[in-house]
Amino acid sequence: MTFQTLLDLVLGGVSLGGIYALVAFTLSLSLATTHVLNVAHGTFMVLGAALATLLFRVTPVSWPVAVLALLAGFALLGLFFEAAFVRPFAAKSPQQILVGSILVTFGFALAVEALLGYYWARLVDPQPSFSLTFPRARVTLLGLAFSGTRLTILVVAAAAITAFHLLLRSTPLGRAVRALSQNYVGAVILGVNPRLVSLTIYLTGIAATAAAGALLALAIPLEPYSGLRLTLVAMTIVVIGGVGSLPGALLGGGLLGMAEVLTAYVLGSVWSPVVSLLVFFSVLVVRPEGLWGRRAA
Amino acid sequence: MGSARGVMRVAGGLAVAVSLLIPLVGTRDLVTATFFTGLYIVLALNYDILGGFLGYMTLGQGAFFGVAAYVTVLLLNSARLDALGRADMLVAALVAVAATALMAFGFAYPLFRLSGAYFAIATFAMVLLIRHFILNLPDLTGGSYGVYVNPRHYLSLTVAYYLGLGLLLASAWLNHAIAGSRLGLAVAAIRESELAASTIGLDLFRVKRRVLVLSAIPSALAGAVFGLQAGYIDVDAALGVDKTLLPVIMALMGGSGRVAGPVVGGLVVRGIDVTLKNYLHLTVPALAIYGLILLTIGLLMPEGVLNVAVRRRRLAARSV
Amino acid sequence: MLEVRDLSVAYGDLRVLWGVGFTVRPGELVALIGPNGAGKSTTLKAIAGLIGVEDGTVTLDGTSLLGEPPYTRIRRGISLVPEGRGLFPAMSVEENLELGGFAVPPPEGLARALERVYALFPVLGQRRRQLAGALSGGEQQMLAIGMGLVSRPRLLVLDEPSLGLAPLVVDHLYDTIARLRREGLTILLVEQQIFLALELADRAYVIETGRIRHEGSGRALLADPHVQAAYLGGASRPG
Repeated sequence: MTFQTLLDLVLGGVSLGGIYALVAFTLSLSLATTHVLNVAHGTFMVLGAALATLLFRVTPVSWPVAVLALLAGFALLGLFFEAAFVRPFAAKSPQQILVGSILVTFGFALAVEALLGYYWARLVDPQPSFSLTFPRARVTLLGLAFSGTRLTILVVAAAAITAFHLLLRSTPLGRAVRALSQNYVGAVILGVNPRLVSLTIYLTGIAATAAAGALLALAIPLEPYSGLRLTLVAMTIVVIGGVGSLPGALLGGGLLGMAEVLTAYVLGSVWSPVVSLLVFFSVLVVRPEGLWGRRAA
Repeated sequence: MGSARGVMRVAGGLAVAVSLLIPLVGTRDLVTATFFTGLYIVLALNYDILGGFLGYMTLGQGAFFGVAAYVTVLLLNSARLDALGRADMLVAALVAVAATALMAFGFAYPLFRLSGAYFAIATFAMVLLIRHFILNLPDLTGGSYGVYVNPRHYLSLTVAYYLGLGLLLASAWLNHAIAGSRLGLAVAAIRESELAASTIGLDLFRVKRRVLVLSAIPSALAGAVFGLQAGYIDVDAALGVDKTLLPVIMALMGGSGRVAGPVVGGLVVRGIDVTLKNYLHLTVPALAIYGLILLTIGLLMPEGVLNVAVRRRRLAARSV
Repeated sequence: MLEVRDLSVAYGDLRVLWGVGFTVRPGELVALIGPNGAGKSTTLKAIAGLIGVEDGTVTLDGTSLLGEPPYTRIRRGISLVPEGRGLFPAMSVEENLELGGFAVPPPEGLARALERVYALFPVLGQRRRQLAGALSGGEQQMLAIGMGLVSRPRLLVLDEPSLGLAPLVVDHLYDTIARLRREGLTILLVEQQIFLALELADRAYVIETGRIRHEGSGRALLADPHVQAAYLGGASRPG
């Protein structure tokens, strides 16, 4: 293995880890504040990749317009999703929320992915696959050649994660989000509006997740049916890192990203999706208190 | 109550009688459609042992079906059983069932660390994992091209039909027997309150593991019959999302937690399914429709896996 | 100040409150006492807006509270300290107190409001950088009360402040509650530890199986033979 190969692998793993950390964190934020497990989370990545492919490759718009359209479109979709599929569970018991929300979000994911695959094949391309190409293949820094694609992914993902971090740490809304995820009733009594928090989380979370999907499409072509697998990747990271924890998401995302990239290098890229699933089951067996064991306490 | 049970018995007897006659008088299309309906109902009944009786909604029932279909077909194609002569198909199916039961036994360890929606998602992860392995090992499994069954081992539609019907009756009997057994009592205790169940000395994990393995066996047999009848399997036929999703929808629509529920739900859902596919020719993929049905169920009956009877009992228990 | 009339609440088919009524006048400390499961917490949830009300009225200063969502009620000058401490375990003591002024910025400014709480509970000042989840039970209860005081409410509602605390800690807590009352704060105190609450209260209501059974001054109820027989006989200071 040459030094350049090693560098490419590490940058590949870390940038993929950045994307994973971002989507895992947005998933766990929505879980912590609304207690709805959004199985369709990964589906929004797929939709983001699909819209980005449409905007960047099929229609001739400039890239700032495309980025803005993507973010605004998915922010709106996030608001709609919250109102239609999350809000109805607000007053229900925890058991009802868990079971009802999985039926709803799983059903949504299946329906959307089936429709996307079907109509994309009919209207755009008989082989539905969403991918983007970055214009600068190689960037030379300090005498080392970096992949332009991977560097872009890393920078954008890091910027998005930092933005989320600052939003949570330093704004009143961020404080409300943290309060609500730690003690729902306590926060409401002190004047935190849960509806506002939930809308904000889905607005920003879905937009960021869709953007993460577009970023991922720079590195790996996505298919219409990858959404549920991506949700599982995000869930695995939440299992490793804990609900609502940003450092945990970074750690878990980095580990999984590196593991997938190394697996692809050693065994071939078809095996990298298997890694996250195997890690998921291994963590379940290894962690004696089970998943989210701490939360009940 | 007694008369309702009487009506159920008459309706059930009538349904069995009609089912017995269909291969003799029906068209091949009708026999095929009924055969598949029967297999789905087997899966729905097996699903309900976990989803309805134990209160653990699973999205992985199709995994047992698919794995057994693959094991049966691959074993027969490998010619290792040729020495057995005519018994090879039966032995292949039994080996497949044993392998599937073992897999269920193993998966019980990670899966039952979870409950609720997390358990459901993990069972779906199990299906995805198996699909990836089959797709990634083309030398063994045929990968995305699938595998053909050696024509020597084809099961005729009529034979497969009656095997499927037998499986359906056996599955219904299994659910009925579990409901009335000591195991059924333990299962009900776990569904009502895991905390209470653990304080009366039940080993919760062992009960759950046993239930998972039990529910996997008829599904595996159904998979074996399906593989040999179809003559060709690939991941989408044997391990498609429909195999995992339709049983849930059927049980929930028909009434989870009761023996007749998955059967009635199965007939209704397959009726809709066949009508949509064969008669209406909608330009909407079937999966999208199943997704929308699931979504609607989730919005309209948020108690999901809990059937009405269970809910009443709970309410009564709380008011004491 | 607070007036509850004919309050009825049901969970599904199960009715838990049957026409509960009581009043809290400005400057009073009113105790709502009764055994576990009598409907005390349900009454408070109704006042806080955390559950729907079937029938009856809840008014604060003559205007109804019932139409308002739970998260705006604190702006009306009512502060609720929930049972089991409504605090945020992964945040520092100071962050928790700051959240006490989240919706209603204290009139004297946040920094001064925090100093006011630290003066009342010096131990919180010493631990202001510690995580709330790392505090002892008594300290957590002090923090919860402190959070309720930051917004300078006119009515403080305490739900079972003595729950799960050692007797010595409870005594200390009750000294503080008495002090708050002397300083003119109106307080509604919900308690299972009846003896303590009755000693301190100006007036008290006894709630049993969802109905108000007795009412009177704290001393009168302490001397009441029914109350004595039911609650104080033998084990006057449980826990």
